[in-house]
Amino acid sequence: MTTPARLRIAGGSVYDPAHGVDGVVGDVCIEGGRIVAELPAGAPRLDVRGMVVMPGGVDIHAHVAGSSVNHARRLLPEEHAADPAPAPRLVDGPPARSGTGGTVPSTFATGYRYAGLGYTTAMEAAVAPLAARHAHAELDDTPLIDSGFFVLLGNDDYLLRQIAAGETARARDYAGWLLGVTRAYAIKIVNPGGVAVWKSGGAGGGRNVSGLDDAVGSSAVTPRKILETLAGAANALALPHPVHIHCNNLGQPGNAATTLESMRALAGQRAHFTHLQFHSYGGERGKAWKSAAKDVIEYVNGHAQVSVDVGQVMFGSATTVTADGPVEHLLYASSGRKWVNVDIELETGCGIVPYSYREKAAVSALQWAVGLELFLLAQDPWRVVLSTDHPNGGTFLSYPELIRLLMDRAYRDDRLKAVNQKLLAGSALLDGLAREYTLGEIAIVTRAGPARLLGLSHKGHLGPGADADVTVYAPDADRATMFAAPRYVIKGGAIVVEEGQLRRAPAGARLAVRPDYDVAVKKDVKRFFDDYATVAFENYGAEP
Amino acid sequence: MSAVEHVTCLGCGCACDDITVVVERGRLTEAQRACVLGTAWFGDGQVPQEIRIRGRAGTLERAIAEAAKVLTGAQRPLVYLAGDISCEVQRDAVAIADRLRGAIDSLAGTAGAGVLAAQRRGRAGATLGELRQRADLVVFWGVDPGARYPRYSARYAVDAVGLAAPAGRSSRRVIAVDLGEARGPADADGRVAIRPDAEVDALGAMRATVQGRVAGTDAALAPAIALVHGMTQARYVALVADAEPGPIPLDPDRAEALIALAQALNGRTRCALSTLRGGGNRSGADAVLTWQTGFPFAVDFGRGYPTYRPHAGAAGRLAGGEVDAALVIGAPATLPDSVARGLAGVATVAIGPRASAAGWKPVVAVDTGVAGIHEGGTAFRMDDVPLPLRPALEGGDVRSATATVRALRERLEGGA
Repeated sequence: MTTPARLRIAGGSVYDPAHGVDGVVGDVCIEGGRIVAELPAGAPRLDVRGMVVMPGGVDIHAHVAGSSVNHARRLLPEEHAADPAPAPRLVDGPPARSGTGGTVPSTFATGYRYAGLGYTTAMEAAVAPLAARHAHAELDDTPLIDSGFFVLLGNDDYLLRQIAAGETARARDYAGWLLGVTRAYAIKIVNPGGVAVWKSGGAGGGRNVSGLDDAVGSSAVTPRKILETLAGAANALALPHPVHIHCNNLGQPGNAATTLESMRALAGQRAHFTHLQFHSYGGERGKAWKSAAKDVIEYVNGHAQVSVDVGQVMFGSATTVTADGPVEHLLYASSGRKWVNVDIELETGCGIVPYSYREKAAVSALQWAVGLELFLLAQDPWRVVLSTDHPNGGTFLSYPELIRLLMDRAYRDDRLKAVNQKLLAGSALLDGLAREYTLGEIAIVTRAGPARLLGLSHKGHLGPGADADVTVYAPDADRATMFAAPRYVIKGGAIVVEEGQLRRAPAGARLAVRPDYDVAVKKDVKRFFDDYATVAFENYGAEP
Repeated sequence: MSAVEHVTCLGCGCACDDITVVVERGRLTEAQRACVLGTAWFGDGQVPQEIRIRGRAGTLERAIAEAAKVLTGAQRPLVYLAGDISCEVQRDAVAIADRLRGAIDSLAGTAGAGVLAAQRRGRAGATLGELRQRADLVVFWGVDPGARYPRYSARYAVDAVGLAAPAGRSSRRVIAVDLGEARGPADADGRVAIRPDAEVDALGAMRATVQGRVAGTDAALAPAIALVHGMTQARYVALVADAEPGPIPLDPDRAEALIALAQALNGRTRCALSTLRGGGNRSGADAVLTWQTGFPFAVDFGRGYPTYRPHAGAAGRLAGGEVDAALVIGAPATLPDSVARGLAGVATVAIGPRASAAGWKPVVAVDTGVAGIHEGGTAFRMDDVPLPLRPALEGGDVRSATATVRALRERLEGGA
């Protein structure tokens, strides 16, 4: 069928948790790219009786565009050769594009594959300001998803200088300026201070920070101060999404203590802690690892201003790609795989190591279990978002399998029997977690919750005025099958997936903020650029 | 008279963005702060404005129609991304190759040995400004950037003041490694001579030394081993090598050994390998092809999806008779000789600056402006930093490459 301006999606079981609708049979009406309350009886109908209707999926954290992602693509020709992606056959619009997949697909394939899963919005989670122009160009070549990115702050030399000088207000104005000039959506912090230490070099000096009160150059600058400054800035600038934090000590045994300390440091403020699974380990460095998921999620459960995404590990191929340069060096040294490091001037880092999580590997199995524990022990699904930190813990194509693990205890217990249990002693998962996510809860952790946490008031729900992004699934007892191939996907009112086939590929919209700030800061930033930068202040950023 | 500031120069891969271009009566009269290569690259801004169809003057409409005919009539078309076009044009060009199920290659293929080595091992690198901030030891490995990258030392790795190099040049030690004729800069603080035939072994021995293994006692390797001891004592080493073909032939083993050494040094201290790349936005072609196809150069859409044939790039395909029509987008003057020679034997469409002057006699030639002089967009520096282009002569009567290539794309996509 063609895409009509009006459409009644009729007779499905509707899951719209933002409005308390949990599997109620009814119609969803669309007009002019938006959800509307009602349509005339004669409006075109899409009969979805017996099917499940949800808002389009919203990915709060994925690595899909920009210089780091492109370094990863360039590193993986063997994966691309093994996963060709011929152009889908579209019914209208310009011809579709071919591409390649693997853990880091080409841009067009990324858009097509997200839509094929019923996702219509995705946030690129880490873009160096210097490369913002590049990230926008890639997102322009990523159809079907509305997208934005989080801009990296917290290891940038200008900011660290302001913190050293106690210039909190100037740090806030700088963040406001940077968000606008790069057309970003939110502030991302990666290993606060740790990347700056890694870049400062030297054999004798530290290679990273190890705790919240380590000095970063000046004793006045610590990870704690960086977190406080930027969390305060995000809230003072009234950004729709709070500061998005990748904590110190990612992937280290015993790092749960750092994670909890980081959360406590920002107590009382909104803050989002990302890929929490990678930050929820007990034990001690050099000794055995164990799960500390229970301790970490208990804190989250008790503190309404904290939100998280899980960063689940899924068995199979992955590519670790992060601004956390020192972590990737450790992974390179321990895995012996190929390794990219790119230090990014005055701002941040970039590290990449291809990886594989194996059921029979004790640490992989622990990571898998920790992620599931976080999901299953979470009390408020609105603050615990489904993610794999694509492609770090696994690709977004593994979301359906993850949903099955959450919804189907028997299946999960079977999988648990197959994994290496050496490090699982004392884990809640091994002790037996009976919980099974409901469809309503899945709708929260994959759509309604992330949309709300991102402050996207027009996404993640099916109320009048919302974007007409709707996904229709045919129920299947195998939830992985059900969620891997939606029957219909509607994006901005256009039917993009019909009978399971991608039929249209409109461009997505860009999501960006332009906060108010005191423009006096620009003069000071320009002076810093004139002294140190290799790109002219006037050429910086990504303004059209 | 008018002046445009903060103009990005594409004369080499340094992509200096501090140029002030002076315009008088539609001509460029000065490119302030530009080096000799940059001055030549900007020129006076005058470009021919011809459209040639089988040797005769024609209209743009007819040229696009004829170009579409040549390309859609071919069994094995090749698209080649030459220099001096923006990323925006490159993106449309890849779409054309996808549509035609053709092969596509670019100027970035000239540095293919280094790209392939990085695909095997990864890389230990930095953007140029980080070398400026951090490097206290700069080792020029068989290259003096003064010749082909004239402002590299002044703006980036050596002279400029950085956060950890407050005195600029005197905060750093510069070592020249001489490999026969391939010599480092004359004004280095120290020199190390390594016999060209011992170079790859020397790099291997250096790496072994860094990793605490015995590297042997061969006298030919001793200077290299002494050098690497000094490198491990530095806080942040910039290791600089040329990725483009030069006085010594590109050697995949050297490229890989340099990466391996730089990676190993990061176990002891910090090190970034800076690989020098040429101009014309070739790094943009590498980036665009990578994000759209997953491969950086030598891509073939013949099967309906991108495949990678890094050892069968444009020159090889042309020489092997595997191409029956070609679309060259960009300045023909930037083509490697091997590609230009091969194009003489096939029907070609040329769109770009001075296309009508191409020596291989295109069937269709459409002259356009130069990215960064007559039209805007984005270009990538040699270190993958994206920069905006600020055309000083935009809005004149020079034909836009962006619009011309878009028109050809739409023509090809419309004719389904």
